[in-house]
Amino acid sequence: MATSDDSRRQSTNVGSRLGVVGQYAMLVVLAVVVLGPLLLTVIQAMSPPLLYVDAGKPFHPVHVDWKDRTWFTGGALSVVLRTLVLLVVFTWINRIMVGWEWAQPRLATTWQNLLATVGATLAAAVLLGPAFGSFHAADGKSQWWTLLAMAAVSATLVPALAATDRSALAITLESVAVGSLVTGATLVFVGGAVWTQAWSSASLGPAMVRSLLMTVLITVAQVITAILAAYAFAFLRFPFKRALFAMFMATLLLPLEVTLIGNVALIRQLEWINTLQALVLPFTASAFGTFLIRQGFRGIPPEINDATRLDGYGHLAFLTRFAVPLTRPVIASFTVIAALGAWNQYLWPASVVSNDRYNTLQFQLRTIVGNNVADANVSVAAAIVAAVPVLVLLIAFQRQIIRGLTAGAVK
Amino acid sequence: MSRLRQRYRAREVALAFACLAPSLIIFATFFYLPFFRMLDWGRYKSQRGGLSYRYVGLSQYRDILTGPDFRDGLTHSVQFVLYTVPAGLVLGVLLAVAAHRPLRGIKVFQAIFSSTLASSVAVSSVLFLFLFNPAVGFFQVAWKEDPDMALFAAALPSIWQNLGLAFVIVLAGLQAVPEEVMEAARLDGYGPWRRLTRITLPLISPVLLFLVVVLVIFGFQAFAQIQIITNGGPAGASETLVFKIFRETQNYGAGAVLSVGLFAVTLVVTFLQFVLLERRVHYGDE
Repeated sequence: MATSDDSRRQSTNVGSRLGVVGQYAMLVVLAVVVLGPLLLTVIQAMSPPLLYVDAGKPFHPVHVDWKDRTWFTGGALSVVLRTLVLLVVFTWINRIMVGWEWAQPRLATTWQNLLATVGATLAAAVLLGPAFGSFHAADGKSQWWTLLAMAAVSATLVPALAATDRSALAITLESVAVGSLVTGATLVFVGGAVWTQAWSSASLGPAMVRSLLMTVLITVAQVITAILAAYAFAFLRFPFKRALFAMFMATLLLPLEVTLIGNVALIRQLEWINTLQALVLPFTASAFGTFLIRQGFRGIPPEINDATRLDGYGHLAFLTRFAVPLTRPVIASFTVIAALGAWNQYLWPASVVSNDRYNTLQFQLRTIVGNNVADANVSVAAAIVAAVPVLVLLIAFQRQIIRGLTAGAVK
Repeated sequence: MSRLRQRYRAREVALAFACLAPSLIIFATFFYLPFFRMLDWGRYKSQRGGLSYRYVGLSQYRDILTGPDFRDGLTHSVQFVLYTVPAGLVLGVLLAVAAHRPLRGIKVFQAIFSSTLASSVAVSSVLFLFLFNPAVGFFQVAWKEDPDMALFAAALPSIWQNLGLAFVIVLAGLQAVPEEVMEAARLDGYGPWRRLTRITLPLISPVLLFLVVVLVIFGFQAFAQIQIITNGGPAGASETLVFKIFRETQNYGAGAVLSVGLFAVTLVVTFLQFVLLERRVHYGDE
């Protein structure tokens, strides 16, 4: 008995030791499957679809339209902007790889970490310029410039990794993998002409500004009205409290899809078609937010409330100095979720915007999905560009978003 | 009654209503008013454009809610839910179980698996529209033109789009399972498959229920993907209930009846989910 037990334990040990490679392999396969649609469409966006159909191979981009320029041409603003974006990306990657926290900015200024952020940015900027030009001219040297840029960027990451307790193999693999991935992505997203083409032909800029304005207004309003209502439900005594709370929660049974006809009629009567207030006002209160923040307020120990009362704090002072700061995680989660929801709205803009000049970004995407297959790549590029702001939001507020999304799932 | 009323302080009550007023006004104007007006409009037959009305009473409710338009819309909505929800559940569990392990660099994979959160329904619909374009796509299929496949073509971007959400929710559930429970199961000789089906899944069943509820709601609300990918076609084969409602925004009478129908369906589905599923899920305290 003992021997069979031992051998089984040993075999599972061996299994899990062998399994590490297997586990990584499985994760890589799953990652490729998840990212697959995105990767394929990036390839698709890079080259004019009719040309690659003629060439008979849709999996290989042909006649990619590359920008004919170096990193340092194309207007001061865009040069600074490109460089800043790259700097932020490298800072973010360095933070993840080496593991310093935003709260300890001094760690970012060791020479190893500075080399990994500033050095990598400069290396990419200096070496990718010739790579763009070389791709554009199709002079056969482009792959050498690309490899050189990848090698240089990878090399700048090595000292920062070496300062941690990693093995030589891990340092090599990580620096090469990250260096070539980021350089390749930068090459594709800065060098490809299709992104700026999509930006201008789909007039994404104005649509993005309108979406941003709508998102900010809806989010700010929702957070304020939800905090106020939650405060009343959590801390104040007033008649009909239960009935009013039920009335708040019952709005969850009346989603926009159900009330659409009535709301569109109302907006028409008010003659608010194609206006900002039509896009914003119906969403300036949130039952979900009220519920979430009320739960947060209820978690505040009653002693704090009593103590502040005795110290002579009024309701406003208690709200702004204690209640809101103490429930900041909940409020932050709700803020990000509200912003995400507002930004991704589609049905309502589609119902109350009748002129393309007033489109929000999400609805604008539909108008550029024409039947012109020759420009299919431009609309795909536009969709990817439209996702960038949310991607930034997701990276910056990952923890808050995940907490907000799972608020109902895990108690 | 009078004693009850004395317990409230006038200033506190005034403050409370001042705090509630902004939300109450918005809810009354943009949630309850439109809804109750629609209940009324359902009794009038309107011409397209909403210019003339004729009172027909409740017969319009009966005619539309038992007619082919509502039935087809409901069938397509249910079909859409059946395409997206099981797929979202299975893939979410698969990804979360795969990424819930103490490996170096697992954070990178978790970030990749949750990355589809960054795309919106409109964005993923545009991506899939060209991925499956019959002339220039990678997968050259004419699903948009096939009445049997059009709805599935519209469901694909949702399935992909929901991966991130499903993954994040299931992973949060897995992370809440105590390590000792899994360790005990391992010592009892449970293999990975039995650990998953006998212990992990029952323990996270409340999370899975939540995920199902969210995905069903998303499924019934689907609109952008249908407008962008099939625009309801071919010949109405992919018109869901919400799509039909959107189409009737010029025709208040019929649109109102469809909306009330959707409301009733939502109520029934919400009720069923909680009655049927609540019984089977395991809550830790029991």
